[in-house]
Amino acid sequence: MYQVNPQDNDKTLANELLTAETKTIMDNWLSKYPIDQRRSALIGSLHAAQEQNQGWLSREIMQAVAQYLEIPAIWVYEAASFYSMFFTEPCGQHKVAICTNISCMLNGAEAIVEHAEKNLGIKLGETTADGRITLVREEECVAACVGAPVMLIDGHYHEDLSTDKIDELLSKLKEKA
Amino acid sequence: MTDLKKKETVIIPDNMVQIEIDDKSMIVPKGSMVIEAADNNGIAIPRFCYHKKLSIAANCRMCMVDVEKVPKPLPACATPVMPGMKIYTKSKRAIDAQRNVMEFLLINHPLDCPICDQGGECELQDVSMGYGRGISRYVDTKRVATDENIGSLISTDMTRCITCTRCVRFLDEITGTDELGGIGRGDRTQIGTAVGRSIDSVMSGNIIDLCPVGALTNKPFKFKARAWELMSANGISMHDAIGSNLYYHTHKGEILRTVPKDNEALNEAWISDRDRFGVLGQNAADRVLTPMIKEDGEWKTVDWATAMDAAVRKLQANDSKNTAVLAGSQSTNEEYFLLHKLFKSLGCDNIDYRLAQTDFSQPHRLPRVDLSLDEIGKSDQIVLVGANVGHEQPILGHRIRQAWLKNKAKVSAFNPKQYQFNFEMFHHFVANQIDWVKGLGSLAHCIADLSKDKLDTDLGSWIKAQATDENLNNLAKKLLDKNNNVLFIIGQISNKHPQAGLIKALTAWLSNHTAGRVYEMAAGANSVGAEICGMGAQNNVNAILNSDTKSYVIYQAENDDFDNAYLAHTELDDADSVILFSSFADENMKQVADVILPIGLASEVAGSYFNNFAQNQSFSPAAKLPGETKPGWRILRVLANMLNVDGFDYESIDEIAGEVSHIKIHPGHINPDCKVNTIESSGLILFTETAIYDVDMLTRRSQALQDTVHASSDCLSVNSIDAKKLKLENAMSVSLKQDIDGDSMQVELFVIIDDKVPAGSVLVHKCIGFRSDILNVTIIAGEKS
Repeated sequence: MYQVNPQDNDKTLANELLTAETKTIMDNWLSKYPIDQRRSALIGSLHAAQEQNQGWLSREIMQAVAQYLEIPAIWVYEAASFYSMFFTEPCGQHKVAICTNISCMLNGAEAIVEHAEKNLGIKLGETTADGRITLVREEECVAACVGAPVMLIDGHYHEDLSTDKIDELLSKLKEKA
Repeated sequence: MTDLKKKETVIIPDNMVQIEIDDKSMIVPKGSMVIEAADNNGIAIPRFCYHKKLSIAANCRMCMVDVEKVPKPLPACATPVMPGMKIYTKSKRAIDAQRNVMEFLLINHPLDCPICDQGGECELQDVSMGYGRGISRYVDTKRVATDENIGSLISTDMTRCITCTRCVRFLDEITGTDELGGIGRGDRTQIGTAVGRSIDSVMSGNIIDLCPVGALTNKPFKFKARAWELMSANGISMHDAIGSNLYYHTHKGEILRTVPKDNEALNEAWISDRDRFGVLGQNAADRVLTPMIKEDGEWKTVDWATAMDAAVRKLQANDSKNTAVLAGSQSTNEEYFLLHKLFKSLGCDNIDYRLAQTDFSQPHRLPRVDLSLDEIGKSDQIVLVGANVGHEQPILGHRIRQAWLKNKAKVSAFNPKQYQFNFEMFHHFVANQIDWVKGLGSLAHCIADLSKDKLDTDLGSWIKAQATDENLNNLAKKLLDKNNNVLFIIGQISNKHPQAGLIKALTAWLSNHTAGRVYEMAAGANSVGAEICGMGAQNNVNAILNSDTKSYVIYQAENDDFDNAYLAHTELDDADSVILFSSFADENMKQVADVILPIGLASEVAGSYFNNFAQNQSFSPAAKLPGETKPGWRILRVLANMLNVDGFDYESIDEIAGEVSHIKIHPGHINPDCKVNTIESSGLILFTETAIYDVDMLTRRSQALQDTVHASSDCLSVNSIDAKKLKLENAMSVSLKQDIDGDSMQVELFVIIDDKVPAGSVLVHKCIGFRSDILNVTIIAGEKS
């Protein structure tokens, strides 16, 4: 059980960087947990912070989240670096995450990844030159093995992937404003 | 052995269970883990992440054991004991599991043991000797981690890390600073700060000991020696009066590093960074290696006989009545005893050790300590009176944090700065050096009102004059609650305060009214020993410096040890003679001294220290005395014989220790009443803060400590309100002026705007040289000198 230690009451970055909307979302998450377990509000808060910050988490905005939640900044870096849905470097407008975990891998996920890479002209973890699409590096199991191989586009599931289906989805994505 | 026991009927208490490990029957506490039971019964189970003082992580999986009726091996650190449980730590299944885990742990571990500082004392190396395969089957790429610079104390080689997270848990649970974390996921997880910062906890060095591999090692010790080349010797902390137990590790007679020695009653398994790295100051450039005398303003290296002759002549040239002896607080009891005995026999009445104290309105005595360190953990309400505990006595700070964590103790403080503590504050009263004392008076006023005290003493009428306040009234109610164990801690800020007498009487008054106990910090590492040996029973340092003293003996002290460093320097400079017994002599001391007699540090001599609890702890020499340095007690004995003083025929230090042990110790008592010396001041009020690594001559010279963020600097800190008023900006160069009896002292300093300093207050570090008893200062901006 982690101990929530007293924090320096510096709130400069939280006040400077977090929008009112983000703070409202964070307050909502905070209200769901006991005060000494406020660390639990972190994931929801990071989603909100990432949303307001063009889809990625800068070090400053992570510090701001830590200040707002009154938890150590290292906890925020740990969580942000752990989950594949958080991006700690600038990335594209749309995030394409192809699952490469066991079920999908057995159903040909590697070929799908290769095809997507060829289609977009980038490698996993990279972003297209126009800044539209990021291929998420090493997406873990998204708990939809029944439809393997699976991918997520901006959080939406697409199952039973084939090379044709990938091309179709990606071209739609390229067209979309 | 076990066969016999089987026939007996053993009555097992309710809170215990009977289990068997490797066919050995044992009764262990309910709820304890298998690994604890095994450890307490001398059964070795390999482990990396488990540590008795930290929470259970169960992430290294090394401690796999075989439990009867369980189909798979279980981690001993996370498996609670059950009645009748039969555990096998050496069965085929257990050993197989351990071997397999070992193989995984070694996958990414580099084979750089020959250039690794941990080599020879590495838990991974030891365990892999027992469980590892000779040849790795792993053929893929190995993980490589980037190293971070986390400061001057700890060296990182993160590729060696096995992510046991002991360091992460230590910095979360023990120090409460949360400076390291596991960054990334799965096999790519790396322990780090994520942002490239330094580790600033004042107990950070303990993660060196905790690290089971060579990922975190001792930076100043790096590549100095191999573990098997080192000799180990017991030592006692030379930097605070907790008396932490240590081992000095020496190579060819030189101390290369310090590690903690477990002592549950004092330092548990930890030591502060000050105790770990402070001793490294021993090799400073101004270490005195030979006796020296000054002839026509020039220093000459001489032999001991010449130097002793010179010292004797100097001492005989002046009447003992005009001679003063001033000692630091880092020497051994035996030295204090002889020093006091010698000069008392000569008729000298000017002997003191309280160099950093300014207010002598109360009689000399031992610090008042009503409880043991363990009992601190049982307190419900703790009030810090002028104390930055974590920096003054880091182990005490640790115990208070444990009281807050485990006993839900509420901690309040009265301080001249908004210190950041690693426990929550119930009420933090922060105001300038004059007003926080008044705040403590207000608390007393609230208590007097609630408990219907008439306040008819001298102190009472002062208390009555202090305003009451709702927050303090709330605290007063809590302190008066009969169910609360109340503890007052008097810190170094109080010890050095110009109203120390008032603060202490007030604390005693408060403790009387709340049935509270008091822990009063001793000013230095062995100031308790100095007091017990009689060093405080004569004229005090203030009186001495302000009187017509002709001849001075300075014993293991230097200019910075004096509160009034400026006066000390001018007085010593004006004196007929100054004999300096010391391990170090900086330019200031060389300017004033006439004879320098090099004596050993406590780490180089045999002797003993009394700690804050008046417990006597003795030690043998750990390091070789450098150059022609000699133990102080031997020099004092010879000096006494040369001066024809009787009773100095000591053959060994044990005889002196024997006499010290017969001294009757009078527990410190504080009179809860006093004549109040009020201080009124307008304008900016000075607070001279003694930085954590400025406490004694060794820490001042320890480069590793001076390179940390806690080192003192030539800056002054002010609140943003004052900064705005005076048009000050960060890093601006200004002059700070202090008026001293018509004279004035002015020093150019850099501005730091820090809202932890209360408005109307100026903070400078003590080493700058301002007097702490003259509180009125002015900032002169915009002038170029």
